[in-house]
Amino acid sequence: MEYEFLIDGDKEKIAVEPGKGAIKVIGPEGALELDARRISDNCLSLLHDGRSHQVFHARDKERLLLWVDGEAFEVREPSEDEGGRRAEEGVRQGLWRIASPMPGKVIKVVVAEGDKVRKNQTLAVVEAMKMENELKAPGDGTVKKVHASAGDLVDTNNPILEVEAG
Amino acid sequence: MGEKLFDKILVANRGEIAVRVIRACRELGIRSVAVYSEADRASLHCQMADEAVPIGPAPSLESYLNQDRIIEAARAAGCGAVHPGYGFLAENAEFCGRCEKEGVVFIGPNSKAMDLVGDKVRARQAMEKAGVPIIPGMKSVAVGDEECAAQARKIGYPVMVKASAGGGGKGMRIVCGEDELRPALEAGRREAKSAFGDDSVYLEKYIEEPRHVEFQVLADNFGNTVHLFERECSIQRRHQKIIEESPSPAVDDALRARMGETARKVMTAAGYNNAGTVEFLLDRNKKFYFLEVNARLQVEHPVTEMVTGVDLVLQQIFIASGRKLALRQEALGQRGHALECRIYAEDPTNRFLPSPGRILYLKEPAGPGVRHDCGIYSGWDVPIHYDPILAKLIVWAGDREEACRRMLAALDDYVLLGIRTPIPFLKDVIRHPAFREGKATTGFIKEHMEGWTEAAKDEGKKRLALAAAAYLTLDRKPASRPAAAGAREAYSPWKSLGRWRQGE
Repeated sequence: MEYEFLIDGDKEKIAVEPGKGAIKVIGPEGALELDARRISDNCLSLLHDGRSHQVFHARDKERLLLWVDGEAFEVREPSEDEGGRRAEEGVRQGLWRIASPMPGKVIKVVVAEGDKVRKNQTLAVVEAMKMENELKAPGDGTVKKVHASAGDLVDTNNPILEVEAG
Repeated sequence: MGEKLFDKILVANRGEIAVRVIRACRELGIRSVAVYSEADRASLHCQMADEAVPIGPAPSLESYLNQDRIIEAARAAGCGAVHPGYGFLAENAEFCGRCEKEGVVFIGPNSKAMDLVGDKVRARQAMEKAGVPIIPGMKSVAVGDEECAAQARKIGYPVMVKASAGGGGKGMRIVCGEDELRPALEAGRREAKSAFGDDSVYLEKYIEEPRHVEFQVLADNFGNTVHLFERECSIQRRHQKIIEESPSPAVDDALRARMGETARKVMTAAGYNNAGTVEFLLDRNKKFYFLEVNARLQVEHPVTEMVTGVDLVLQQIFIASGRKLALRQEALGQRGHALECRIYAEDPTNRFLPSPGRILYLKEPAGPGVRHDCGIYSGWDVPIHYDPILAKLIVWAGDREEACRRMLAALDDYVLLGIRTPIPFLKDVIRHPAFREGKATTGFIKEHMEGWTEAAKDEGKKRLALAAAAYLTLDRKPASRPAAAGAREAYSPWKSLGRWRQGE
């Protein structure tokens, strides 16, 4: 079976064969066998060629988080819409979708749909953990849509505002 | 031995410090009463306490800072004392005074001493009178710009504009020359007014790249005062401490004895009791200057506990119960070396912005000489309303180099999935030669870590992560998962996998 994942944002493919207590990884040099043992709901022990690797893992709706011998990785299913994960998305057909860089609460939205805005103009203020963050216009444009208002809780995936460039 | 201890203590705080105080209460057989806001019902401190009282909606002003609610909770539960932790109401002289009036013992200094040391200008005046070396500066609050300019010339540039009513970097401005003075005074006054409701500012000599060295003090209610030596807290980011240690690599025995005696003198001059800390700046020439007094138990208190063997929270409870200090200065000493790393819910790869959210999995580091003061657990939702400190990781070892190695191993052993923490950043700080050799001053982060980025991940571990991900997905979904539907190009897994390298 072939799997395609996004690992830390990079698309990677891996081919594996299921086995009992083993992961057979198919590579150009042939197959590689990892002895795999589930230790608990969050822990996997992998042995290969005498080396022991500790893998801790946990899931939420969108991610599989893995910790391997001291380093953390984030794995997601590859999908069409990979944008909007953090902060502002790049310009796509002249439209900026502005989301909060951190999960928090909207303190105020300073502009309204139809307003003309200048580069670096403050559009909204989001607060989290006693820190305020001003969301600014990436360039000159017009506010196309406003999706949130003061008091709303927001995350990093869903845009608060859409600004049309120009 | 002494006075009877309280039956119940109300812990007027949350998170890791509330858990810390609850543990001390358990050891002494004292019932602990937690208070929790609506956002903290599932928090660890609420679970661990013997009793738990709701005190209002999530925002601090309506809960942990609400004096009426806290006092009411203490009275309703029959608490003989309140422990304020750090932050929130810990240094609020009004709250301290109210406790005194209501007959609830405040586990901390008396309100008069707290008031005196809380006012920075008055504190400096008192210290100068007591013969304690202070940073050259103005003796009273600045009245006009002309007077400031004259004073600045007398002190000698560079000078710092500071707020009289509070700290935390608010209202602080560095001024290098007379032409910068007026705008700096204006900006400083504005910020001070906004942060403390008081725009009073004063000027102090700006000491370049000093070390932040502070002394822990304990004083009972009978005038007996001891110091428990120093902590060095020079690793700071935007005036916020992130790594602390004891002893300070820059302090030798003779200097330690002089500074320690000075710290005791400071606290005696202030009429201080219970636990407190005297902060000094140590300049390049090993001259030290009084900075301020922190009239509370501090975040970094564990490093003192590890090297002296004294439990500071237990001592606070004993002192507040009216017991005489059983510690003798001659019998106190430092053994080995302790380091502490603060674990914040912050993303070091995204401007250290807060990283709230659900902790999907936590495995705490352990082992000899490893201590974890923790306020979190697997499955907990870190709320957005409060200071982002999650836990503190402390290590103790025989010497400083060993402590650094132990801290790195413990950080490598720290598993926290779900939110970001500065752990990768902390590891790089400890590995940095300037830190490793004990040469860091308060300028360290700015000088060496500005523009830090996380190192590239190990390829071998990445492959293992992929294999594990596939295995875990295998278990759940039996169907094969092809690449995104519609994106059919002829691809060969042989080409894409590349050379398999294990565990390098």
